[in-house]
Amino acid sequence: MTRHIWRAVTVAGLLSLIAAACAPSGPAATEQQTAAPAAAATQGPVSGGRIIVGTFVDMQRANPATSNDSGSSAVSSKIYDSLITVDPKTGEAKPWLGTWTVSSDGLTFSWTIDPKANWSDGKPITANDFLARVKMQARSKVTPNKSVFNDIEGYQDYSTGKATSISGIKVDSADPKKFTAKFTRVFCPALTSVFGSAPMPDHVFGKYTVDNDPTKNVDDAPENNAPTATSGPFKFKEWRKGDQVILVKNENYFKGAPYIDELVYKVVADTSVLAAQLKTGELTVGSINAPDLAGFQTEDRLKIYKFNQVSYTYIGWRANNPNVAFLQDKRVRQALAYGIDMSAVVRSVLLGEGTKNLQHHPSFLWAAAPEKDLNPYNYDKSKAEDLLKSAGFAKGADGVYAKDGKPLAITIVTNQGNKLRETFLQVAVEQYKQIGVKITPKVEAFEALVPKLTGGSPEIEAVIIGWTNIVEPDSFTVWHSSNAASPTKAGNNFVGYSNPEVDKLLEQGRNGPDCSQATRQKIYQQFNKILNEDQPYMFGYAPKNLLVIDGRVQGVDPGPFNAEGLWNIDKWWIKK
Amino acid sequence: MRTYILRRVLYAIPTLFGISILVFAVTRMAPGDPVRLYTFGALNITEEDIQGIRLHYGLVNPDGTERNIALQYVDWITLAVQGDFGKSLQYRQPALNLLVERLPATLQLATAALILQLLIGIPLGVVAALKRGTWIDNVIRVFAVIGHAVPTFWIGLLFIIVFSVSFRVLPSQGLLTVGHDVWDIPDRLKHILMPAFVLSLAGIANYSRYLRTETLDVINQDYIRTAHAKGLRERSVMYGHALRNALIPMVTALGPLLAVLVGGSLVIEQVFTWPGVGQFTYAAARSKDYPVIMAGVMIAATLLVLSYLIRDIAYALVDPRIKVK
Repeated sequence: MTRHIWRAVTVAGLLSLIAAACAPSGPAATEQQTAAPAAAATQGPVSGGRIIVGTFVDMQRANPATSNDSGSSAVSSKIYDSLITVDPKTGEAKPWLGTWTVSSDGLTFSWTIDPKANWSDGKPITANDFLARVKMQARSKVTPNKSVFNDIEGYQDYSTGKATSISGIKVDSADPKKFTAKFTRVFCPALTSVFGSAPMPDHVFGKYTVDNDPTKNVDDAPENNAPTATSGPFKFKEWRKGDQVILVKNENYFKGAPYIDELVYKVVADTSVLAAQLKTGELTVGSINAPDLAGFQTEDRLKIYKFNQVSYTYIGWRANNPNVAFLQDKRVRQALAYGIDMSAVVRSVLLGEGTKNLQHHPSFLWAAAPEKDLNPYNYDKSKAEDLLKSAGFAKGADGVYAKDGKPLAITIVTNQGNKLRETFLQVAVEQYKQIGVKITPKVEAFEALVPKLTGGSPEIEAVIIGWTNIVEPDSFTVWHSSNAASPTKAGNNFVGYSNPEVDKLLEQGRNGPDCSQATRQKIYQQFNKILNEDQPYMFGYAPKNLLVIDGRVQGVDPGPFNAEGLWNIDKWWIKK
Repeated sequence: MRTYILRRVLYAIPTLFGISILVFAVTRMAPGDPVRLYTFGALNITEEDIQGIRLHYGLVNPDGTERNIALQYVDWITLAVQGDFGKSLQYRQPALNLLVERLPATLQLATAALILQLLIGIPLGVVAALKRGTWIDNVIRVFAVIGHAVPTFWIGLLFIIVFSVSFRVLPSQGLLTVGHDVWDIPDRLKHILMPAFVLSLAGIANYSRYLRTETLDVINQDYIRTAHAKGLRERSVMYGHALRNALIPMVTALGPLLAVLVGGSLVIEQVFTWPGVGQFTYAAARSKDYPVIMAGVMIAATLLVLSYLIRDIAYALVDPRIKVK
């Protein structure tokens, strides 16, 4: 049960940010490496102790309504619980702070909040707290999450100040723990995206949003950075900026107080420092990269949890860039899929700690197509060259294929500092040379690369980057043709993929009318099959999460749909 | 003297203006867009949302067109001269406050490094001069060259590997151990030792070379020969006459050293995750947090200008031949 649903993630997935720190993501098949002491079974949980988690980025704002960065989300997900939780093993939305029913037309959700659920200061968590969250997000001038609630009736009018209340959300006058939310159209990801947004304490934040004055907002509230009332297993204690965030256990937590006393997020410079500090014991928890794994095999004090994660790294081919118009030809993209030995990449880049990836959804998510229905594009040099020839290319004297005098030359860019991706790029250069495709590798700072990707810059011909946190299968913003990135309209469909059949599937998967899992499963399996055939991406690899934790820590139970592996942190305890 | 100081302060103002224009222009013209960067991954976001955030930050005009950089500069400077450097785009707090909060950490590091420079650099220089031509002198000189030539971040990493990872005698990162009280002085000293020493290396090298030259200069002066001739003991000649005079010019070296410390801490803070101004400004530059970059650079520039000012005043005090024009 993931405590908090990562902000906008909900919809399709978050781009893996931070270069070196490629967001650690959750587990599926958990293998525990070093010998797990069997003696632990005889000893019950004990209270006390401190867990120190290593992170590469500091928190920015502990208010999930206005923040979107991974540092802030890590903290806010421990202090603010949501109405629902995502099961870390299956990715399914389950009741948490609240339980729900849906009307037969799929438009109205009725919620009842747990009677035991209180804020850390003892006040009950009510429907008004959820409303406070929706309202603060509507009026914030800086939030990247404003449009999450767009489909709630009356939300946009409230947001612009045309209305002084949100007509779609009705709080039960008899029971303050009950409310209904009405949508203007069926929105299948509503549970995770809309109701995965944590309620915020109205008695703390309510005063910053003024119904009849749209200029007032929560953006500068001091409680954004020093929360006074929390609903999660932890309370906020102190933020030493740039250094650490200290959380302490919430004795009033509705699921029972956590065993550990303190949870600390400690900022470290990079992956090598993180690895060093795990060894010295300065950190209790941290995610490492496969190349660092070797140094941990001899550390008996530490346990390594290896598990699948909902993310993958791919090569995206820009089909809508005239500089590389040949990428519009499916045969060329398929040739590029046959022309790279991904099993070798998994061995050399991930040292075997991951798998070759064939589709957009992770293979263990219900929306994924069964592997038997997919083309594995096993490495086949001659098939790759045959495809290029059938597309009208002929090999020139320099060994590079060309058509109408234009050589098959592509520049692939990736973000600086991510060693795994840089190695992947080097391998791609070498292997594509073998099939007569000339790759120019380019490395660019993340902050310079992002606007070019979302802005459809002609400089981008192909890119190595990743998606992470694909929990809710709705991938409308990533694959729908209306979200194609272009200089006039930004979008997350960086490659400019456009396929009317896929568009239709995405619309059905998002707006129903049938949101049942059985129907959506068929839709997304079909979608994945088409992508596998079309190869708008060379779907790359899915790395495993390698979470290193002090061997004394008990109760760790990671699953692939919780990126951090800390979803049940309240049940962790430290063996004396 | 008062007019001298006043004049120097007045000279500083156009310098700071120049720096602010330059940095403003460079940061705004560098590729990248802070709003796109912050909203990256927010998959529900619409183009209107992005435009709304841009408008809020003053990056576009109300009609949606990009705001002229010169006008943006005017927006900024109008408030900056009143002490308002704007709010951090990432943290939503006044940029200046965020930096001032971190100033103590940087000053601690710089002060510790300065003390180490003086404590180590001066004796090394004097010894090198007195033992001129011997192996001791050569060793010190080689050390000075290395201290200058090797990049500090590399030495920093080397120290971390040796002292933190291999021998585990010193902590590698941060101000103090997690869970310790902020007033745990021994713990803090343990944390500051490595970064301060690495930061001081260039200064030690500088100081020892500088002082060697000065000392050599002085011991060949007539008044030293006179002191010897008077029959004074070697010790009193060296400390009472030679060293005292050799140290005077050192005052002038202090100014630029301060600047080097503040500038150098940018790298060192990064390597040792020292939560100071340097680390914060670097992170801001990476994430295009314009108000923080501007405030950070202006603080550093002010410190620089101030350190030169102090040097000039000290110089004027020490050497009366410097006439105030």
